[in-house]
Amino acid sequence: MWAYVAKRLLLAVPVVAGVAFLVFAMVRIIPGDPARIIAGEAATQDVVEGIRRDLGLDRPLLQQFGTFVGGLARGELGRSIRSKAPVVEELRVRIPNTVQLAAAALIVSIVVGVGAGVVSAIRPYSMLDTGVMLVALAGLSMPVFWSGLMMILIFAVRLGWLPAVGTGSLAHLILPSITLGMATAAIIARMTRSSMLEVLRSDYIRTARAKGARERTVINRHALRNALIPVITVVGLQMGTLLSGAVLTESVFAWPGIGRLLVEGILSRDYPIVQAAVLIVALAFVIVNLIVDVLYAAVDPRIHYG
Amino acid sequence: MRRVLVLLATIALTATFAFSAGAAPAVTPQRGGALIVASGADAVTLDAPLITDSPSATVLEHMVETLYRLTPEGRIVPALALSHTVSADGRTWTIRLRQGVRFHDGTPFDAEAVKFNLDRMLDPATRAAFRFLISRVQQVTVVDPQTVRLVTDAPFAPLLAHLSHSAIGMQSPAAIRRLGAADYARQPVGTGPFRFKEWVRGDRVAVTRNDEYWGDKALLDEVQFRVIPDDGARLAALEAGSVHVAVRVPPREIERLKGARDLTVRVDESLRTIYIGFNVTRPPFNDRRVRQALNYAVNKRAIVNGALNGTARVSDAPIAPNVEGYSKIMTYEPDFERAEALLREAGYTRQRPLRAVFVHPSGRYIRDAEIAASVQGLVRRIGVELELRTMEWGAYLAYTNRPQEQSDVQMYMLGWGTVTGDADYGLYALFHGSQWVPTGSNRSFYRNPQVDALLDRGRTTIDQAARNRIYAEAMKIIMEDAPWLFLHSESQVTGVRGAAQGVVVHPAERIEAHKAWLRR
Repeated sequence: MWAYVAKRLLLAVPVVAGVAFLVFAMVRIIPGDPARIIAGEAATQDVVEGIRRDLGLDRPLLQQFGTFVGGLARGELGRSIRSKAPVVEELRVRIPNTVQLAAAALIVSIVVGVGAGVVSAIRPYSMLDTGVMLVALAGLSMPVFWSGLMMILIFAVRLGWLPAVGTGSLAHLILPSITLGMATAAIIARMTRSSMLEVLRSDYIRTARAKGARERTVINRHALRNALIPVITVVGLQMGTLLSGAVLTESVFAWPGIGRLLVEGILSRDYPIVQAAVLIVALAFVIVNLIVDVLYAAVDPRIHYG
Repeated sequence: MRRVLVLLATIALTATFAFSAGAAPAVTPQRGGALIVASGADAVTLDAPLITDSPSATVLEHMVETLYRLTPEGRIVPALALSHTVSADGRTWTIRLRQGVRFHDGTPFDAEAVKFNLDRMLDPATRAAFRFLISRVQQVTVVDPQTVRLVTDAPFAPLLAHLSHSAIGMQSPAAIRRLGAADYARQPVGTGPFRFKEWVRGDRVAVTRNDEYWGDKALLDEVQFRVIPDDGARLAALEAGSVHVAVRVPPREIERLKGARDLTVRVDESLRTIYIGFNVTRPPFNDRRVRQALNYAVNKRAIVNGALNGTARVSDAPIAPNVEGYSKIMTYEPDFERAEALLREAGYTRQRPLRAVFVHPSGRYIRDAEIAASVQGLVRRIGVELELRTMEWGAYLAYTNRPQEQSDVQMYMLGWGTVTGDADYGLYALFHGSQWVPTGSNRSFYRNPQVDALLDRGRTTIDQAARNRIYAEAMKIIMEDAPWLFLHSESQVTGVRGAAQGVVVHPAERIEAHKAWLRR
């Protein structure tokens, strides 16, 4: 299996290189001049041109790309062109925040999603099933900038139980992780339900019941475990999305994460920040996908990587 | 007299919303505590010459002081300077400095430090966006440790006002030399009532009281500037009591918050004028009648009362009222018949309507996109068809900043904050014929030799009464020429918890907590 992991990691190199090239090209295609944005609407043209020269933006694109790749090869991400702070420093604060929020949201979504999906599948087409799926649909459809604000209004402003925004303690994590986890929970619930329904109709479940196994054992050991494969795939994909920054959740809860950094970077045409953030996200996707593939083998003994 | 009136108006306006502020003087100020101020964006840099945004300026102002400062009432008063004299030819300014002042790192504040900072501002390699404010200064000399002399190439009346700009803050030369500009920008060292504590990027900047401050020491132990990007969440955090001050409260929330306990919403004037500019060098707006017609067609009062809930003031001059050099010139009162007559004269009819593209940003100024849509609706009544094009700020700046021969801009919306409080800054860069973009900020490509001559005289005339007359004359011509559709000056809507006393909302769009304190 380790050989497989090593091979997959090696394959990640061209992926990341491709992403590096694409993001480099894309940030430069969007209209707007970083030097003008830094200098502001009041600055004179000579200042703007000076800034452009300082940043090397007056040099040919190919040369700029060379500098960028050269830096990457040495493990340097450069400095933010807006704040002049090293990109690494900007990322160092944001990455733990993002990982923390994504992990908490994932836990919320798995617990709620798998639980709701199983409950629904056990009593398909009952009132309970309809109710749970309706809630799931609502969770999926509610935009986080609305549901997040509602959570703040209820739990922070009205009841005063939890802090409204910001980071710092476990209490700060509760509202954003529930807000962010809800949409994902809804997807997982729907996936779990349909997968469970399919499994529950299969022959080995009938066999398990026929040999007199308790219903709880049938559901937990025989059905759920088999039903989890597609769920894991969905969870993996969602994890990538959560890590790539839940921009809206981060904005509503003033959570300094990768998503907001990326959006602010795009708005100010802060090329090094955008490049670095996108690379980190791409890397996160690669790693999460790898973990998902390895997990398949852990859940289903029939799958193994030679 | 005018300033007194403006001040009274501000007080009246504020008092309408803030009752606890009126009760403040009865209570003795208390020492201690941390005040939390929430704004929508993080500081970008804390190196004074590189600052171009108000979140950065707000934070920096607590740590780094200027030679002169603009009071919230609109007066230019000495800060780190003590007094000044001007030579008879108006070119040599001798400035006496305050004695015994030290930077937070112990470096003495003296004439050498002033020269270092001014030279750094003037050095093109610094890339200071506001270098043009003092680019007339040719030489800075140290007369003695307590005196500097500035020589300009021509008489330059707005010099002291321009020295009040937060970009020309006095920072420790030792710290800048030791850290280098890029690292200094994240740990500034000034002479102010607060010193730098920490900057958690994207989250907050904290400053603590400077117990060695030369003036009245601050009462607060600490001020935290927190970033809460979402307007609704920022307000919710204020209502929940997580922050003491929230900037940019959406105007529509004022009514709801009136009944809120322990919370006041204040409305303070700013120095920012919002306008719609016309490209006066290309059809259809190269015809003055067309520009005037649009000015007559738009009911500015309706926009202010509707989209902005009354939190703005209809422009009666190209600059805001609390700017030195302002005088009430005129307003284009809504007059559809006149507007239609002017359009007909210019050759447009209902059958052959005037069509134009109107570009505007979204989210940059208070309700900018809504205002653009209102203008579109209002001018439709006189048969003008505007196509709205919303642009993202970065792309918008690039689009409106192209030189005249490449520009196909017809109509655009922008705001200008005359943060030095002097008319020169609010007029010269925007209306002088030499200031067409990309050189200056004249995005309308407006040029009128008479206006140019007056604006030139305005900067070289030292006598303020004479200057005011010159600017009044220039503004009268500008308003008749109508290179802009004159809209309004924005007000700042700020939410403040009852416990936070003495917080100042400065017209230059900054929150000042220098004298603030927390009631417990």
